[in-house]
Amino acid sequence: MNAKKWMIMFVCCLLSLPVLLAGLNFVVDPFGVFGHFTWYSFSETLNPRVGKTEYLEEHWDDYDSYVVGCSSTSSYSVEELNAYLDASFYNLIMYGADMEDVEKTVAYLLENDTVRYLFLNVYVDNGISIGGGEDDLTLKLHEKVSGASPLSFYGGYLMADPNYAMDKLEAMAKDTWLPQTFDVFDEATGVYDKRARDVENISDMERYVAAYPVFADYPVYPTELAATERCMESVAAIRDMCAAAGTELIVACAPVYGEYLNSFSDGDLAAFYTALGQVTDYWDFTYSSVSWEPRYFYDGTHFRNAVGTMALAKIFGNDDVYIPEDFGAYVTAETAADHAAALTNRGGGQDDSGYTREVPILMYHHLSEEGGTDINISTAAFEDQMRALRDGGYTAVTFDDLYAYVEHGTELPEKPVLITFDDGYESNYTLAWPILERYGMKATIFAIGVSIGKDTYKDTGAAIIPHFSLEQAAEMVDSGVISVQTHTYDMHQAAEYETGPVREGVLQMAGESEADYMAAFRADLETAKAQLEQGTGQAVTALAYPFGFSTTLSEALCRGEGIRATVTTESRGNTVIKGLPQCLYGMGRYTVTEISGAELLALLEG
Amino acid sequence: MSFTSLSFLIFLGAVAAAYYLVPRRWQWGLLLLASYGFYCWGGGRTVAYLLFTTLTTYLAGLLLGKLNRRAKALPPEERKAGQARLRRGKRWAALGACLLNFGMLYLLKYWPFTAEVVESAAGISLYVPDLLMPVGVSYFIFQAVGYVIDCYRGKYEPERNVGKYALFLSFFPQVVQGPISRYDQLSPQLLGEHPLSWDNLKYGIQLAMWGYFKKLVIAERVGVMVNTVFASYWDYPGSILAAAVLGYSIQLYCDFSGGIDITRGAAQMLGIDLAENFRRPLFARSLTEFWRRWHITLGAWMRDYLFYPLALSKPFRRLGNFARRHFKGTVGKIFATSMATFVVYFVIGIWHGANFRYIAFGFYNGALITAGLLLEPFFVKLRQRLPIRWEGKGWHLVQMARTALIVFAGRYITRAPRLLAALYMLKETVVSFHPGRLLDGTLLTLGVTGFDYAVVVLGMAVVLGVEWYQERGGHARQWLERQNAFVQWLGIMVPLLAIILLGAVGQNYVGAEFIYAQF
Repeated sequence: MNAKKWMIMFVCCLLSLPVLLAGLNFVVDPFGVFGHFTWYSFSETLNPRVGKTEYLEEHWDDYDSYVVGCSSTSSYSVEELNAYLDASFYNLIMYGADMEDVEKTVAYLLENDTVRYLFLNVYVDNGISIGGGEDDLTLKLHEKVSGASPLSFYGGYLMADPNYAMDKLEAMAKDTWLPQTFDVFDEATGVYDKRARDVENISDMERYVAAYPVFADYPVYPTELAATERCMESVAAIRDMCAAAGTELIVACAPVYGEYLNSFSDGDLAAFYTALGQVTDYWDFTYSSVSWEPRYFYDGTHFRNAVGTMALAKIFGNDDVYIPEDFGAYVTAETAADHAAALTNRGGGQDDSGYTREVPILMYHHLSEEGGTDINISTAAFEDQMRALRDGGYTAVTFDDLYAYVEHGTELPEKPVLITFDDGYESNYTLAWPILERYGMKATIFAIGVSIGKDTYKDTGAAIIPHFSLEQAAEMVDSGVISVQTHTYDMHQAAEYETGPVREGVLQMAGESEADYMAAFRADLETAKAQLEQGTGQAVTALAYPFGFSTTLSEALCRGEGIRATVTTESRGNTVIKGLPQCLYGMGRYTVTEISGAELLALLEG
Repeated sequence: MSFTSLSFLIFLGAVAAAYYLVPRRWQWGLLLLASYGFYCWGGGRTVAYLLFTTLTTYLAGLLLGKLNRRAKALPPEERKAGQARLRRGKRWAALGACLLNFGMLYLLKYWPFTAEVVESAAGISLYVPDLLMPVGVSYFIFQAVGYVIDCYRGKYEPERNVGKYALFLSFFPQVVQGPISRYDQLSPQLLGEHPLSWDNLKYGIQLAMWGYFKKLVIAERVGVMVNTVFASYWDYPGSILAAAVLGYSIQLYCDFSGGIDITRGAAQMLGIDLAENFRRPLFARSLTEFWRRWHITLGAWMRDYLFYPLALSKPFRRLGNFARRHFKGTVGKIFATSMATFVVYFVIGIWHGANFRYIAFGFYNGALITAGLLLEPFFVKLRQRLPIRWEGKGWHLVQMARTALIVFAGRYITRAPRLLAALYMLKETVVSFHPGRLLDGTLLTLGVTGFDYAVVVLGMAVVLGVEWYQERGGHARQWLERQNAFVQWLGIMVPLLAIILLGAVGQNYVGAEFIYAQF
């Protein structure tokens, strides 16, 4: 081939590159606009505006109501709204959405569906800017919403950076049940999939701030609310469109982290919230005691799902849920100016003693007359410890007390302590129970399901310390002194007796697929729950991790199976927080050894 | 304008198209215009430094040419006295131009370092002007000084047309990073008329693609890992440090030689052959040979304009006589040249930058090569005694490995953030190597994935395979030419896709997911 022909071929190759790129983007379809390899969670993560529009185009029939707004909108639970209003909500949160995006989206919704309720989240950021008219592939609105030319819209996605398509292929291989950075949306509800974040252990402030250092010294960048007027024009347009369509509009202002609120001037804030009142009545959660508690936030601009639960309970008058007294106010045109003025009168930080408590958990195993090891202490020592607790003014609480505290705000006794026993030894029945009763204490026993009533390891015949029977368990539960909860059914395996592959606590085994692992874990939990609930008549809601091993996935699976508290063997105390049920996951426990009652008190009082 | 930017490709395409469309006598003018456009685009006002060097050396060249002609025209009876007088004049002219330009280079590149050293040693704080570094200053000044010295030596007639001379210094593919060209080789090509040659276009494009492959696919990729390790070298054991230095050696070679291939490829598209700057340095069997294969034009410049003048200078001749009298045998004979060699490598080290590290690097190379020269008689005797096939392939491999190891150790010095850090890292590599750490997953925490390592390893395998073929006398582009159309098509598409998918599109791409990292 001569050089001239080579050059022609070279130029043809160059020209074929755009065609190849278009082909790649068309087939792999990372933004989900061509309908191939549909994976809404992935495409919505790349661009929620476009991804969710594509999703709705296929699912109009599933919904009759919508939640709209920027990313903080995600923490309003669709399930709770559905229950309060007997509706079918879809949460259309779009990160960074300004009110013009929302207005266009609402127009599109009303045009395509008969909408019963529209829940509009107005966030203080909506006053910063509006109408950026984003061209970025990851930020633009769908042409069906924006009215842009379909040619340039689809053309843009055909010519998208091939990395997006490559990322999708890679992500398809790496996909897991829990969300990862590339699939953060829950498809059916439209919210950020927070299954992992909502089981992370949130306890004392020091550990929380160490995990989320942004809260240690929150950066404040003075910001102007320059777009308030235009934002309110869009809110008014939304109000009018809803009125015309017969859609009921609910407007709520999301809780804002206190330090973040300091980014704005008092004048701007007052103007923003007054102007909103002139346009529509609204629920305002922007500022309250919640604003100063970092543990109620994922980061400075996103409040936790649990806070969304409080807000909805406030709006719909659900007294069952804990709601701080100063949280949420209904604002009308008449009250807006006064309310907005009050907003500018804010404190700075606060004392958390009104809504947090320290609850130490003690961990015991086996008791015997002679005692002598860390997991087998003498009855004498145990009795001395119980006596000391009673005399020291401690009240033993149960997990039910903790649920009531975090979910409903029911107060705990002055000095609460939670006593637990692992494994379910018969000595708990014969020795510990009478002593507990004698000193007015209560305890929770985490029994290994497969060992209940056994003095040999499973079917091996190998002798082990005897375990109490289901009948004995029921007897203890009936007394009101003991609660029997689960230590898993058969995930507390002893390597020396097992013949097949051995699981380390509840952890996934090497070579086990995620699906197999999840099935095994769920089956184990369901067996354990059924066994105990049938045997004792008491609901199983707490779990102690065998050997203390746990993962985010195991926590999420527990939560999915109705487990509301999990304990580990990490030696630390626990802060429990009203309104934040997730503080009961991954709790720490103190191992109590053969120490005197006085030493135990010293340990508890640190 | 970076070679790896899309704007450069468009610029190059436009210049090449215009170059073959305009009347041929305008071609050099177009190149001059394009070159200054290119320089101003990237360097803005720093073009003043380029102009300064161009004008001073242009005038010095003219003056030297005039003095040379006058010397030749002297009648025989005045020749002796007249030539001495003219030689003084020539010396002043050449020295003046060199001092002005090296002075400028010193001010730009070495003065801040001098001031720092003076301040820490004597506590005197010296004024350091805040100057923008002009692109390619080390290259065009050396090229210009070479021209002045050649004029001084009367090697050729100086250029009379200032525009034509300006093109020699500013030719856009090479102004950024060399090669350091010679006037008598480059200028006739720049000024000549070039009809459209499909072969040149094709070879140029292929060479540039090869350069892009090395630079974008290999160097940029491995550079991420290198930066991570060097940024916190104290966190890693010797084996990881050694892996990072190996990565850096790969990065440096692929980046520099890749850049030169792009330069030479772009020039070839315009029908201009630039001097070769790399000749497969990894196959060098000694450190001296390495420096004859690595950055060739710098070494050649040093040889012609530093080594010979130095070795032939009066002080060195005196040193030679002294050595011959006092040392026995070969050592006495080669002592003076060895010392001149040491100075040359020392200067090469410092040429790279103003820093104790580069001084140490120069010293390292100079000392090893000089020691090698001085110990040569001993090695000769040793070789005669040992029963090894000194011309066999095995010994060649040993020599290559030895040279690579020496160069590798030198890389610690040039890449470490400080000289002491380099010494620390060398020490760690020797005393706490911990080879197990290479396999425990640490390598995957350095900002690059297993896939990236695979790309680098495969990429290097391709580079070394091609170089091995060339080392044996093969010509890769001609080999490709002999293949059928399909293979030739693959020869275009595979590198194109590799460069685009594994190289170019990786730059500046931020997956949307990073927005969500906090969730």
